[in-house]
Amino acid sequence: MAATRRLQKELADIRDSGLKSFRDIQVDETNILAWQGLILPENPPYNKGAFRIEINFPAEYPFKPPKINFKTKIYHPNIDEKGQVCLPIISAENWKPATKADQVIQALIALVNDPEPEHPLRAELAEEYLKDRKKFFKNAEDYAKKFGEKRPSD
Amino acid sequence: MNSLVDNLSNCTVTTHDRVVSPSNQNFFQLLVTIESGHLKNNGGLIKPHPYVELNVDDFKRHKTEVIKNTYQPKWNEEFTVLVTPYSILHYRVLDYYKFQKDVLIAEKSISLYDILSNYNGVCDNLELTIDLMRARHNDHLATSSSATNNLVKVGELVTILNGFQIDMSQVSNPPREPSTSTNHQIGLSNGYFSYGVRVRNRNATANASPPILLTDSNISNNHTNNALTNNILTNNRSPPTSAVQSSPAEGTITIHHQNGPVTLPIDEPLPAGWEMRFDAFGRQYYVDHNTKSTSWERPQPLPAGWELRRDNRGRIYYVDHNTRTTTWQRPNSERLQHYQHWQGERAHVVQQGNQRFLYPQHAVGTGSGPNNRQSATGASTTNPVLDEEDRMGKLPNGWEKRVQPDGRCYFVNHKSRITQWEDPRTQGTELVIDNSDLPTGWEVRKTTDGIRYFVDHNTHTTTFEDPRNVPSIHCLSGPYGVPAAYERSFRWKLSQFRYLCQSNAISSHIKITVSRQTLFEDSYHQIMRSAAYEMRKRLYIVFRGEEGLDYGGVSREWFFLLSHEVLNPMYCLFEYANKNNYSLQINPASYVNPDHLLYFKFIGRFIAMALYHGRFIYSGFTMPFYKRMLNKKLTMKDIESIDPEFYNSLVWVRDNNLEESDIEMFFGVDFEVLGQVVHHELIENGDKVQVTDANKDEYIRLMTEWRMTRGIEEQTQALLDGFNEVVALEWLKYFDERELELMLCGMQEIDVEDWQQHTIYRHYNRTSKQINWFWQFVKQADNEKRARLLQFVTGTCRVPVGGFAELMGSNGAQRFCIEKVGKETWLPRSHTCFNRLDLPPYKSYDQLVEKLNYAIEETEGFAQE
Repeated sequence: MAATRRLQKELADIRDSGLKSFRDIQVDETNILAWQGLILPENPPYNKGAFRIEINFPAEYPFKPPKINFKTKIYHPNIDEKGQVCLPIISAENWKPATKADQVIQALIALVNDPEPEHPLRAELAEEYLKDRKKFFKNAEDYAKKFGEKRPSD
Repeated sequence: MNSLVDNLSNCTVTTHDRVVSPSNQNFFQLLVTIESGHLKNNGGLIKPHPYVELNVDDFKRHKTEVIKNTYQPKWNEEFTVLVTPYSILHYRVLDYYKFQKDVLIAEKSISLYDILSNYNGVCDNLELTIDLMRARHNDHLATSSSATNNLVKVGELVTILNGFQIDMSQVSNPPREPSTSTNHQIGLSNGYFSYGVRVRNRNATANASPPILLTDSNISNNHTNNALTNNILTNNRSPPTSAVQSSPAEGTITIHHQNGPVTLPIDEPLPAGWEMRFDAFGRQYYVDHNTKSTSWERPQPLPAGWELRRDNRGRIYYVDHNTRTTTWQRPNSERLQHYQHWQGERAHVVQQGNQRFLYPQHAVGTGSGPNNRQSATGASTTNPVLDEEDRMGKLPNGWEKRVQPDGRCYFVNHKSRITQWEDPRTQGTELVIDNSDLPTGWEVRKTTDGIRYFVDHNTHTTTFEDPRNVPSIHCLSGPYGVPAAYERSFRWKLSQFRYLCQSNAISSHIKITVSRQTLFEDSYHQIMRSAAYEMRKRLYIVFRGEEGLDYGGVSREWFFLLSHEVLNPMYCLFEYANKNNYSLQINPASYVNPDHLLYFKFIGRFIAMALYHGRFIYSGFTMPFYKRMLNKKLTMKDIESIDPEFYNSLVWVRDNNLEESDIEMFFGVDFEVLGQVVHHELIENGDKVQVTDANKDEYIRLMTEWRMTRGIEEQTQALLDGFNEVVALEWLKYFDERELELMLCGMQEIDVEDWQQHTIYRHYNRTSKQINWFWQFVKQADNEKRARLLQFVTGTCRVPVGGFAELMGSNGAQRFCIEKVGKETWLPRSHTCFNRLDLPPYKSYDQLVEKLNYAIEETEGFAQE
């Protein structure tokens, strides 16, 4: 209830704003705490695909931060094989109740576009990213083509 | 050589003939390193020439080199062996003789399955330290396989398992032995199976994974099955209420009679009563018809050996055939992990119990303050033991302490002409109500619970405090009366509390007979069926089958074991607060146990008994919980120790301008317990009242109150009621929450070296002068002060079993940390969830001591803030 009211507003705002990079937002009418959507990064190599994510808000939102999961496999130093992502804006230390889902999504897209190899979840990918950018790009692109969803054309 | 080996195997116990089921015939490679051994010096003149023989399932044999003349052999030999997940590794340590048959020093069998199930199927650099056991006074093991408790430890063997991995979901429970060999198997399970094996992962950093202790309780049950087997188990499934994809047959979990294996289908069907559905968006979700709830996550099937059942009232519960226990809450991997952790602690529990104390073992001597004052008043200062005892105050009137010829003390009550072993100052006395020396106009009465109180007819008031009490304060504090500062001394408060206990003691004793296997239930029934005041009688605890007189040691053990048992995660009564593994809080989900309030009442009685009888419990509660016992107001800061995220958000609301931030919050809140969202309005129609800068103080106050009580109010009340029946909560009023923890858990000798070694610094370093001063302060402090400093920084006076290296914070391992923060005029502050002390850069040692002392002693909120 408490979370619902705010989330409804946030969701409406996000839908109204018509984000190019976050589309196809699906929220079950009966459970507004679970969102899904499609991320469309702009930077190579991730601009070859679209990535489905899931945002789960706790009942105590906005006192507790949401959790984000990738449903689509992605070759990225900051996102692990299980789709978990380490995003500072929603970490326990940084979370503020005023932070909006919209800002979280923007931060996530920024992270996908520009990996942060200094704080990797997958060290081997971070190493490759730093040492052999070309190889990394090729792998990431292959991954995006193989596992990524189709990008909406408009 | 071959014939020698054959001879050897003939003289050992014939190890079990293991039945490997055909489906598990696949062999895997496992690297076994036999690293070193530590053998006890048996007093013989000639050192042994040890070597190790490794048999896998009794037919693949490997031997190490013989190391001559040593009790500390190092072999460091690696063998590649072929195993199945159910293989038994049989280690035999032998003493090589040139001209005669080699002599078996000791042997041990390890069940690989037990290791795998504890390490999720991965043997990656696992170090096993194996206790080597041998029959007492008997070199021929073959004759003594049944006399398991006749085994003595003769050494340790260190071995490493490496390079093996298997998906445990593909591995069913180990096949059981044929029932004909039951006796034999029981013998094995106690003596030669994984009991006495310590496992740790060498890859992990030292503080990441404490060793898992395999105890016999989780192993022997694989081999013995008698109690539960009669009414096992065709799975009563409730049919799904609607048509489903997963047909019931697919989901069946069967457990066969007697010795049959537990089979879990490999394709992991949904558990009984669950159904998968698709929502309007085509997304999968899961319906649990048992509990009428839904979930996005696929339910984990019940772990091997578990079963869902219904009781005669139709309620669902879960049976764990591995340990022969039941629980109301569906087991999941997290809970099982907690359970394993909990079980792993067991081995330390009793040992810990003997290390706790309230008064230092030796007179401390140093330091100023009231403690020393009393020794100047006539107590013998030359005898440290006497001095120690006199800290408890004088014996009550009419009592005398005497010493038997064998040096054991006993106490004589000259009034009632009764003697007892227990010190009346800690155990209570058989007090005869005595009105004679009361001031005029006073009278002694007893409440219906048998608690003594005093009526002052002059003022028409009543009190629990004995008006004659004043002289006893005088004996403690000497001819100077009671200095105000002294009243805050913990020891003075304790003596007051002890006095109240003594004066409300009930004559005769209460006998509580328990069996170790059913400690919790036995204790529960006996404590709850007696009147509460009987808990103030002298305790007489008997462990069934171990009849002996309780001189205190038995009851000490009982308090410790039972308090650990209460934490059994499967009872769902308590949980560790904030994941730090030290402090307990009431589990808001405890209502899954329909009788939970009765249990909380029982636990209330139990902890009151611990205080009353001067005994300790294994694990304490959170500071906010103690404050609640003391009826103190909980502050926002109290939330930090149990839920730092929530606390940070509250702080943010307090410190920021809400109008600017469009925060959209109302006076209504939610929280989730067992997948159910519970809504609460902080004020009437709160859902319609937005939080603004004008009303946010009220909001914060109400949120604090709600956060500290949500979901646990009834349980807390039940616990306090139970407590109050035995010991009036009123008696605790002198204490603060930290002192309550010390009283209940006792203190431990704190290893300052270890503490210093595992401390980290931020914006200071090891050689900073403030850091040197800090450790100088710690080293000079007595144990009580150290304990209080620890409480201030970590939230508890307890140190993990593995020492400071294993200190935990809210996000896992978290070392004790000192950070340079603020200016010299500030007080030190602490962040208990991060074990961090904010220490301003003080200018001198004296200043640091003064500020630290102030912060530690005057902790009412602000010093921590």
